[in-house]
Amino acid sequence: MLRMEIALFLVMAFVAYMYFTAEKQSNPLHRIFSVLLVVMLSHLALDASTLYAVCHLDKVPLWLTEVLHRFFIGTMVLLTYLYYQYIAVLIQMETGKKRKLDIPAKVFLVLTEMGSFLLPLYYQVTPEGNYSYGPCAYMCYAGATFYLSLCTWLLISNWERMDPKEKSAIGVALFVELTVSVLQAFHPTWLISGMGLTLMTLSFYLTLENPDILRAELTEQKMSMLYLKSQVNPHFLYNTLDTIRIQAQLNGDKKVADLLMRLVDFFRLSVKVDRPMVALDDELELLEVYMELMCYRYPELQCEYDIDPELGGVQVPNFILQPVVENSLLHGLKNKGYRGSVRISAQKTAHNQMEIQVCDTGSGFAAGKKAAIDQMLENYAKQPAKLEGNSIGILNVQKRIKLLCGREYGLSYTENETGGVTAHLLLPGKEDIQ
Amino acid sequence: MKKLRVLLVDDEIMIREGFKRLFDWEAHDCQVVGEAADGMEALAQIDSLRPDLVIMDINIPIMNGLKVIQLSRMKHPGTAFVIVSGYDDFSYCREALRLQITDYILKPVNYEEFGTCIDNLKISLFEQRVSAEPEQQEERTITGITRYLQEHLAEEVSLSVLADQFHLNPQYISQLFKSEIGVGFLTYLTNIRMEKAKKLLLSTSLSIADVAEQSGYADYRVFTKVFKKSEGSTPSQFRRDFLETREGEQDNRI
Repeated sequence: MLRMEIALFLVMAFVAYMYFTAEKQSNPLHRIFSVLLVVMLSHLALDASTLYAVCHLDKVPLWLTEVLHRFFIGTMVLLTYLYYQYIAVLIQMETGKKRKLDIPAKVFLVLTEMGSFLLPLYYQVTPEGNYSYGPCAYMCYAGATFYLSLCTWLLISNWERMDPKEKSAIGVALFVELTVSVLQAFHPTWLISGMGLTLMTLSFYLTLENPDILRAELTEQKMSMLYLKSQVNPHFLYNTLDTIRIQAQLNGDKKVADLLMRLVDFFRLSVKVDRPMVALDDELELLEVYMELMCYRYPELQCEYDIDPELGGVQVPNFILQPVVENSLLHGLKNKGYRGSVRISAQKTAHNQMEIQVCDTGSGFAAGKKAAIDQMLENYAKQPAKLEGNSIGILNVQKRIKLLCGREYGLSYTENETGGVTAHLLLPGKEDIQ
Repeated sequence: MKKLRVLLVDDEIMIREGFKRLFDWEAHDCQVVGEAADGMEALAQIDSLRPDLVIMDINIPIMNGLKVIQLSRMKHPGTAFVIVSGYDDFSYCREALRLQITDYILKPVNYEEFGTCIDNLKISLFEQRVSAEPEQQEERTITGITRYLQEHLAEEVSLSVLADQFHLNPQYISQLFKSEIGVGFLTYLTNIRMEKAKKLLLSTSLSIADVAEQSGYADYRVFTKVFKKSEGSTPSQFRRDFLETREGEQDNRI
């Protein structure tokens, strides 16, 4: 039977390695699972050594066998307690219900742990193998039964409110664990308790703690932080700015008033857009306001437009021009002290398509940068979901064009002969909204 | 034409001050006769001051602007209302239009462009007067001229064309517009051309270039520019917004 314990140990060691090397959010659930993994591993190690010691009572000194055995029982009760804790915290996180049984569960844990080290323990030698009995062993069964029943009760009483995948996985594992415990109680020589416990831990790992879920949680957390950051009521912001604008104009400062007016326009336009596709006119309006403000801040910056007026109604993904132009400013013209121009043109091309070009007279690509950008835009789908950094803007533009318009469209860059770069946005030329 | 009496209603003192001091009321033959900061005050002021025009914020304390309009309509049906509102009250827009307000403008208010709003009001007041006039044997000169313009707005019309047509001095006609309607000839012409264009945009599926031509603009680029200045959106945006609102309404009905 020793081979099974070793196999289980190896499996759990691998799971633990995967788990501890993964980057994860810090929350009570993950903390409990970390402790659970450590206890699980020591329990399996103790299981294996106790098994050997008990079956070789003549070779191993009795005191050592007892110490190992008592630790084995102690970790087993602790494990079932941790299962209960894990499920209780999970339910609390998902349903918001308070944990009512924490204190009795903890008191019971202290009592059983004390019992596992103090109560008498005896060994029964049989031809099929040796096993333990006596108050200490019975208390171990009582402890495990207590916590597993708590788990079952929690699961059943919250069945309606739990995620179907989670509850079925935990339910099945719990059922197997209970069956294993009952069999173990009736056939003390089968020594299969480790199997049930491993299965329980694995079910948590596979449903709630696997690397994909951990990564998704992290991304979601970052996203929601960004989202919360943007939750300042925009109406408050631009109503206040508007009041300041009127005050400025009353004070006779027309220039400040005009700038504030444009800033208010910029906020208003960005708040207004709530559809994924907008008309090119709308997109250009936002860009014009943005460029007016930038050109005011940097007086030597110029902006030219050459838009085929026929294209005003063409539907494009929203917020695709401003990030591309911003990129030209921050990575091209900034290096030239914002001296130069950006030229935005939109023309019809063959096959009912449209090309928007953003051509700047900036510093151009640094050595090797062009290849890196091309590579990134080419393999846009394989890029990890970055939340900050230089290229997040244009990567995002690329992803949305491909998603909303189709894979044949998208963003690419070329270098100008006269310096600077040109961004090419190839888009459908259709007017109708699907 | 007598001066228009204007009442300002907004709960923010800065907005009222802005209106009062940053818009050239004198140049537009208007006079601010009072202010109110909430709905009750507004009603009382309308009763006592009898303004021709009320500039009304919707989101005001005690009683909202639409309620004020509804109540004062019963007593003073002739009062015109221009609603000024932030984007957060945009859903009121439709209800406001049902109350037949003269105009609806969005904050932030551009005081230079607010004049267009007053001009529109004067033109619509003039049209009301004309339609209320009893049929006379001899048509008044200005009525004849405006009818001629309505019928010929797709053509090249100018003061001299009108002068030839009506055997009058161009200067006299220009004066007539100022004194009878309160706006210049060109403002009037642009206004009726824009009204025509809006009607065509919403009721037909003519291309923008055709709409421009039928509204008297040979170059549709010029038309787009003028339209954008007067309506705040390009012709195609205007048409799309209308279609979308209508779709939205239909959705609501289901």
